Amino acid sequence: MKQPQNVCNETIFNRIYETHGKPVWRFIYYKCGNGAQADDLVQEAFIKLWQNCAKVTQEKAKSFLYTVCNNAFLNEVAHKKVVLKYAKTQPEKTNFQSPEFLMEEDQFHDRLKNSLENLTEAQRTAFLLNRIEGKKYSEIAEMLNISVKAVEKRMSKALATLRNEIGNI
Amino acid sequence: MEKDQLLHKWLNNEASAEEVEQLKADPVYASYLKIAEASSGFGIPEMNEEANFDVISEKIMPIRQSEKSNIFSIVWKVAAVFALLLIGYYYTTTLDTSITTEIAQTESFTLPDNSEVILNAGSTITYNKKDWTKKRELSLDGEAFFKVTKGNKFSVNTSEGVVAVLGTQFNVSARDGIFTVACYEGLVSVAFNDTILKLPAGEKVQVENGRLVSSGAANPSSPAWIQKESSFENAPLQMVVNELERQYHVKVSIKNVEAEKRYTGAFTHKNLELALKSICEPLQLNYEINNNGAVTIDAKHSK
Repeated sequence: MKQPQNVCNETIFNRIYETHGKPVWRFIYYKCGNGAQADDLVQEAFIKLWQNCAKVTQEKAKSFLYTVCNNAFLNEVAHKKVVLKYAKTQPEKTNFQSPEFLMEEDQFHDRLKNSLENLTEAQRTAFLLNRIEGKKYSEIAEMLNISVKAVEKRMSKALATLRNEIGNI
Repeated sequence: MEKDQLLHKWLNNEASAEEVEQLKADPVYASYLKIAEASSGFGIPEMNEEANFDVISEKIMPIRQSEKSNIFSIVWKVAAVFALLLIGYYYTTTLDTSITTEIAQTESFTLPDNSEVILNAGSTITYNKKDWTKKRELSLDGEAFFKVTKGNKFSVNTSEGVVAVLGTQFNVSARDGIFTVACYEGLVSVAFNDTILKLPAGEKVQVENGRLVSSGAANPSSPAWIQKESSFENAPLQMVVNELERQYHVKVSIKNVEAEKRYTGAFTHKNLELALKSICEPLQLNYEINNNGAVTIDAKHSK
């Protein structure tokens, strides 16, 4: 008797949290750039998952979480100014560059950061999922519930916007 | 357009070195690559996994508990019902059966092996139905007549002694320290203190406080009380009066009479007046029935 297991079991629920908690949180963070809001949305999503545990199989838990988060985010979206954090840890090779180059690099990164903050939520989410998380288009499409073609479009647009804002390098 | 496809391929980490060179040749795409590469360097804060999990657990705890207790309470309820049924079954099947007669009442019944028992007034018999086939043993407080079906040992435990037989008819009376056994058929073994007596048919023994008092011939076929009579042989007056109280539901008080007075004879269970006469006349005593039904017995000459 092989029945798809739902997530009402505590151990299964905890395992799902361990596997998907952080990625879902980052996913929301790309959207809103706000840790506290991401916390709230993640909590809400997991609570909803538990409440609906009988209807959600283990396989569907992941997409359930992303969908719930996405919807919740869209519902309460305040369109606040998104402020991202830029990592101080850059590849070591930059240390061997000339001071002038380093300064240019810094400027470039600052401009890039600003431009990313100014992207639309849809473009930024897709772009950062790809760049930071290293997600393939197909995975992004699944998370956002859109087609791969739509992801391509968002990526192209994001890159074009960024290039325009930063200017030719 | 082709380069766009290559760019996506590269972004998906699927482009070959050649294709990368091709992209880098175009200044627009070269800047795309640079932007994309630099973007990968963004660090983002990590979620505090434990803190969030605590919040989630706290909020879903009541749900969890209520669901759990639901499931468990059903399980417990079912278990409790089964436990009760089991206990009830066990209790009713292993419980000793007890038969008691009130004053002025005799009871006749059959044991599981078809042995007959007639219980005299104010007596109790206790036995175990379930174990009866294994062990024919019962305890008696009072007086009873037994007609035992042949089989393995049949024992009657009383506070005064034990009567054991194989198959016979006998009467046992164990009251107020006086133990009387009469055998009407077969052979009865009577054990009291350290003594074991074999009582053949037609004989009876009386034991008072662990001491053999008398033995002699028993009434022809069954004890007198079966024929609605109480018969005594050299019995203390108090014992006779106790028996009278049991058969007639009266309160009897004795005044000015020596306690050692002994009585031999019988009284009927059908007529109190007649019974009192049967007791008092041979002993030269007076009796009086008061308005409230109480009986006083006193010595004749005291008047």
